[in-house]
Amino acid sequence: MIRTWKGLAPLLLAATALALVSPAMAQTPPNVLVVGQIAEPASLDPNVSTAANDFRIAVNIYDGLVRNTPGTLEIEPALATDWTISEDGLEYTFNLREGVAFHDGTPFNAEAVKFNFDRMLKEDHPFASTGPFPLAFFFSSVKDVEVVDDLTVKFTLNEPFAPFMSNLASPTGLIVSPAAVEQYGADYGRHPVGTGPFKFEEWQSNTSVVASRNDAYWDGAPSLEAVIFRPITDANTRVAEMLSGGIDVLLETPPDNVAQFRNDANYQVVEAVGPHVWYVMLNAKDGPFADKRVRQAVNYAVNKESLVNDVLQGTADVSAGPIPPAFNWAYNEDVAPYPYDPEKAKALLAEAGAEGAKLTFLVTEGGSGMLDPVPMGTAIQADLAAVGLDVEIKTYEWNTFLSEVNPGLEGKGDMAEMAWMTSDPDTLPFLTLRTAAFPAEGGFNSSYYSNPEVDALLDKARLSTDPAERGELYKEVQAITHEDAPWLFVANWKQNAVVTSAVGDFELQPDFSLVLRDVTKQ
Amino acid sequence: MPTYIAKRLLAAIPVILGLSIIVFLVMKLIPGDPAQALLGSYATPDNVARINRALGLDRSWPEQYVIWIGNLLQGDFGRSYILNRPVIDEVLERFGATLILAGASLVICSVLGILAGIVSAVRQFGWTDRIVTFFVLIGISMPAFFLGLVFILFFAVQWRLLPASGMYAVYGGGDLPDLLRHLILPASTLAIVATGVVARLTRAAMLEVLRQDFIRTARAKGLSENKVIYRHAFRAALVSIIPVLGIQAGFVLGGAVYIETVFQWPGLGQMLVKAVSTRDLLLVQGGVLVAATVYVLVNLLADVAQALLDPRLKA
Amino acid sequence: MTDLTTPAPARKRRSNLQLLLANRLAAAGLFIFGFIVILALLAPILPIPNPDITDQPNRLLPPLSEGHLLGTDHLGRDILSRLIWGTQVSLLVGVSATALAAFFGSLIGLVAGYARGATDSVLMRFVDMLMAFPYILLAIAIVAALGPGLLNALYAIALVNIPFFARNIRGVTVSIRNREFVDAARLSGKSHAAVLFTEVLPNVLPVIVITMSTTVGWMILETAGLSFLGLGAQPPTSDLGSMLGQARAQLFTAPHASIIPGIMIFVLVMSINLLGDGVRDVLDPRLRSGTLGRPMPVTRIKRSAKPSLTLPEPPALVVENLSTGFDTGGSITPAVNNIGFRLDKGECLGLIGESGSGKSVTALSLMGLVASPPGVITNGGVYIGGKDVLSLREQELIALRGARVAYVFQDPLTTLHPLFSVGDQIAEAVLTHNPIGKRRARQRAIELMDTVGIRDASGRASAYPHELSGGQRQRIGIAMALANDPDIIIADEPTTALDVTVQARILELLQNLRRERGLALLLITHDFGVVAEVCDRVAVMKNGEIVEQGETQTVLRDPQHDYTKRLIACVPELGEGRNFLDRVRPLFPEAKA
Repeated sequence: MIRTWKGLAPLLLAATALALVSPAMAQTPPNVLVVGQIAEPASLDPNVSTAANDFRIAVNIYDGLVRNTPGTLEIEPALATDWTISEDGLEYTFNLREGVAFHDGTPFNAEAVKFNFDRMLKEDHPFASTGPFPLAFFFSSVKDVEVVDDLTVKFTLNEPFAPFMSNLASPTGLIVSPAAVEQYGADYGRHPVGTGPFKFEEWQSNTSVVASRNDAYWDGAPSLEAVIFRPITDANTRVAEMLSGGIDVLLETPPDNVAQFRNDANYQVVEAVGPHVWYVMLNAKDGPFADKRVRQAVNYAVNKESLVNDVLQGTADVSAGPIPPAFNWAYNEDVAPYPYDPEKAKALLAEAGAEGAKLTFLVTEGGSGMLDPVPMGTAIQADLAAVGLDVEIKTYEWNTFLSEVNPGLEGKGDMAEMAWMTSDPDTLPFLTLRTAAFPAEGGFNSSYYSNPEVDALLDKARLSTDPAERGELYKEVQAITHEDAPWLFVANWKQNAVVTSAVGDFELQPDFSLVLRDVTKQ
Repeated sequence: MPTYIAKRLLAAIPVILGLSIIVFLVMKLIPGDPAQALLGSYATPDNVARINRALGLDRSWPEQYVIWIGNLLQGDFGRSYILNRPVIDEVLERFGATLILAGASLVICSVLGILAGIVSAVRQFGWTDRIVTFFVLIGISMPAFFLGLVFILFFAVQWRLLPASGMYAVYGGGDLPDLLRHLILPASTLAIVATGVVARLTRAAMLEVLRQDFIRTARAKGLSENKVIYRHAFRAALVSIIPVLGIQAGFVLGGAVYIETVFQWPGLGQMLVKAVSTRDLLLVQGGVLVAATVYVLVNLLADVAQALLDPRLKA
Repeated sequence: MTDLTTPAPARKRRSNLQLLLANRLAAAGLFIFGFIVILALLAPILPIPNPDITDQPNRLLPPLSEGHLLGTDHLGRDILSRLIWGTQVSLLVGVSATALAAFFGSLIGLVAGYARGATDSVLMRFVDMLMAFPYILLAIAIVAALGPGLLNALYAIALVNIPFFARNIRGVTVSIRNREFVDAARLSGKSHAAVLFTEVLPNVLPVIVITMSTTVGWMILETAGLSFLGLGAQPPTSDLGSMLGQARAQLFTAPHASIIPGIMIFVLVMSINLLGDGVRDVLDPRLRSGTLGRPMPVTRIKRSAKPSLTLPEPPALVVENLSTGFDTGGSITPAVNNIGFRLDKGECLGLIGESGSGKSVTALSLMGLVASPPGVITNGGVYIGGKDVLSLREQELIALRGARVAYVFQDPLTTLHPLFSVGDQIAEAVLTHNPIGKRRARQRAIELMDTVGIRDASGRASAYPHELSGGQRQRIGIAMALANDPDIIIADEPTTALDVTVQARILELLQNLRRERGLALLLITHDFGVVAEVCDRVAVMKNGEIVEQGETQTVLRDPQHDYTKRLIACVPELGEGRNFLDRVRPLFPEAKA
């Protein structure tokens, strides 16, 4: 008995192994695009979700009233064909596109728009319990949404709010089907229904989200038959799946692998600059960084070229100030990044009497837009050590990090990493550089930078509805803050993706969304 | 036996209840909250307060705990703050995946470990024993997460023999062979350490048993050596191996966290790590509750199996 | 467990190290581990670059690059240097965590095991709770709550490993707390704490050391695991796990950066495990004395001279010049020397002697049942039906066991398999030599049980040995021996473990069977009373040799050897009372009154 078994076992094992291994790696099917996402989506209700990862799916299932023109951050019509803004900047009236239907067949109209914004903004709305809606504050200036007629809707604001249109174009402004919300209630996030180029088909937890072509799409049916979004949290595994043919699109390629794909004819590397800023905030309230010269010194001491080219392998550009170049209409070309000049840094430190200062540096292990935070922090630490600054790093997991940093650095540290991705040049400086945004006031100015001139400029820019005027104001902010150096300005991320050579017309968008309606695959 | 099982189950209740309190307290002591996880950079005090109100997190801790326990007693595990779905759905789905992974590893480590242990004991000090002992040492000295990476590097990337990650192929898969193909690498990685432990223990148990008087009796009866070893000695050794398999089940469940991270296996371990980092308290509670219950049940099962094997314990 | 510390400490210390070094694997482990430790300790003075200096343009250089023997990492830091410094950190954390876990775990185990009752329950429920918690998650939660850093990771690892120590130590403590010396200490008025730490602890200590030596490796792995997940050392400090974790991003582009620390962890842990195994082998007395060797199916036979293969006109059993010894690592210590005797059909020979005289070894040698290793048959022949069985091939010898020669052993509780029903065990004996089918074998087993006088045989057949009385168990042993109608039964102290009345009945049973079936019976005993009652002839053994042999009546009446005289005198007579001692005392000059 045992003897026979012994003889058979290796045979059996070999046979099983062969059966399992022999089918060569399954290639992705034709005309179906498989996208390697960075995580399992939390919710496909665009008003509930907060993660860029979820929005990459949502923008393909839904439309907003307006959208960013592909390749830019300029606004173009989507579900609204045109709009008017009142003189005082308080009333926005939109004319809606005719004949558009949600994937469930219900019509898109002014009632649907009102339902969407009321659900998010009114705590007494019958479907407010389908939330929470974390990013609803994008529209907190909206006082009222009014149905003028079936295809006309009017938003009334409390106060003029220049970023309103950009916020409408953001994923939080995507329009969901009221009928579907009523049907699925709290579970709507797993049964999304929109008007977009792709119809949601199924969501297998932790495995895939499948969306198929919407043949009735108002902007022309897409070429792809279907899109499969597959969550692969680990960057290496994502790369491995790409190499082994399991996915067509690889998002957020680790910097070190980009070169590898660039040199391989089977793949194309796609890049796009986005409105992203990676910086280290410097505690201007207590410690050595209260002195502007010390803050400038660290800007000189850190070799940012080396950071973006070596650590980030060219997946980012050196940053000069709080306004990223992606907002081309608000970006000040005249402000150049601080050059790498350790001698000048030492001189400034000597002048300020801060040689050999001991500094505490809060570093996160990861988090949205944080670009290899630990290696970056370590490299910065080493550069600062070279000019005689003794930096101690404390790393925190992202949520702990935020709860350490957001209430203010006072008493906790001198420096902290941070990164933001925004849809409007207003957002970042308004939340992080104003005196009125000190943590005690409910803002994110955790490093206590305060300059009345900057405060005034930002307040003014927010109220202006003239883009040209706003642009000038932001350019001025850029110049002043560059000189004041409230932060160590480090990098602007160029987001990247790798696609196989079979994929055509694939582009990344500056607003970090993933627009697949024009993509093809042979 | 039924009274014994009932008693054991009753004894587990305070353990699990205590565990849920510890989980609750630890999660509350960790800085940060789900609102912050949801809002990320936008977590202003106003926004946080608004979300906490919507999630019912503005109540006092004891109140929150009592509400949770109350709902639990009615079979309601609550809703995940972050995933926007009922905790029980997510936990059961994830648990199913972990069960497949851990179950496969447990089978591998039991079968291979016991076989290796027996062979090694039977050929004590021979070259087979040396080789097995050496491999067992390699097994228990190998960082599983490292081995997983090396496996991916070779089997998936270099040789393209097996999938690098996940549980099913994205397209065209979904059947049993597909699952098995995805299972091979993570399950064997996870089984490595446990196999070593089981093999070691089996060897020791077999050697101990082979010295017993009743083995001499079996020999005196004229039984063939195979019968002596596989029928008499192994049967007796199994009694002390089974509880260790129960403990290994706990380790395999725990070790699954690394393996699930490395191989992107959509299991409970990966879910729990993420739930801790997003402060998704109810999800952590649900996951730990299920994991702990399974641990208790597996050990109970091991004890029952032991009692069934050993008539002396039945009393 | 007290045995663990019994050998004289002075000699032991030297021999322990020698023993350890004698184990080649352990010696290799010690060597590698020592090398790693020295390297780690010397880190500050070795000619290696500063591990924290970054050099981004020269990042991810492959091994053997100029100036970087093992290449550079993702920030251009020297991997060799970081490896050496990182090993220092990992070792320190692993060892400290082990010490912490061992201290608190052992304390809990000691107190719980010693106190029992409510304290025990509460402590062990706490330990259960820790065990039921997915351990990595617990560690992650602790690090998240306490903040990052190696020290907190260390606490977390120590905490999750407490149950392991607590359970082990509690088990040992429980077995020790009721031992006589602990009772004695308690009665002498020592406080509980004093008893616990001066009496119990020293006896538990070796177990703690063994547990520690086998867990250090595991702890280093866990430290590395936590660091791998990013919960350990803070940059720029390197430890092996974080090196691996950070280099993981470059796994496909620069595999050396992760493979080198991975291999380092593996080698370090492997050397510790090798060493730990060696330490365990040295400290565990059973492993040390080699008594955990696996006995072979047949005793090793290494005879100096080949005896003739057959004997003419043979009686049932002839033993000639039989010598058996024990291999104690090179030299063979003789246990039985030049034994010779014969046994005719239907005859009963008593083999008598004090314990250690070699009579059991003699009995077991006949069918090659002396446990081997360490047993070796060094000389002589055993002739059954005129053929030397020691010259047979292994299979042939095994085929004779239970068929022509059957054994009845001393203690039926340990000699019957505890997990099989007695009926099955008898049936198995039948089937081994006579494949008549399961059902008929079962039938035969019940008949045999009936024959040996077990009432309600068919009912008792499904009982397990522990459910029977001592006498019944021995009857089962005899039934098993009878299963195949053997020519010879070798009964090794069959009645010693039984009380007197049962003893008499078992002897009577053996006598009857012998007469009815014409069995040859070799009866091993230390009791001349038994010999007088049952045996036709008697052979007296002392120190492995037969000193006197003859008809029972003759020997009893006129013992030739001093030793025989003493043995005979030691049989107390009924109603003799205290006179017995006075009568026996002069025979034992060496025993002081």
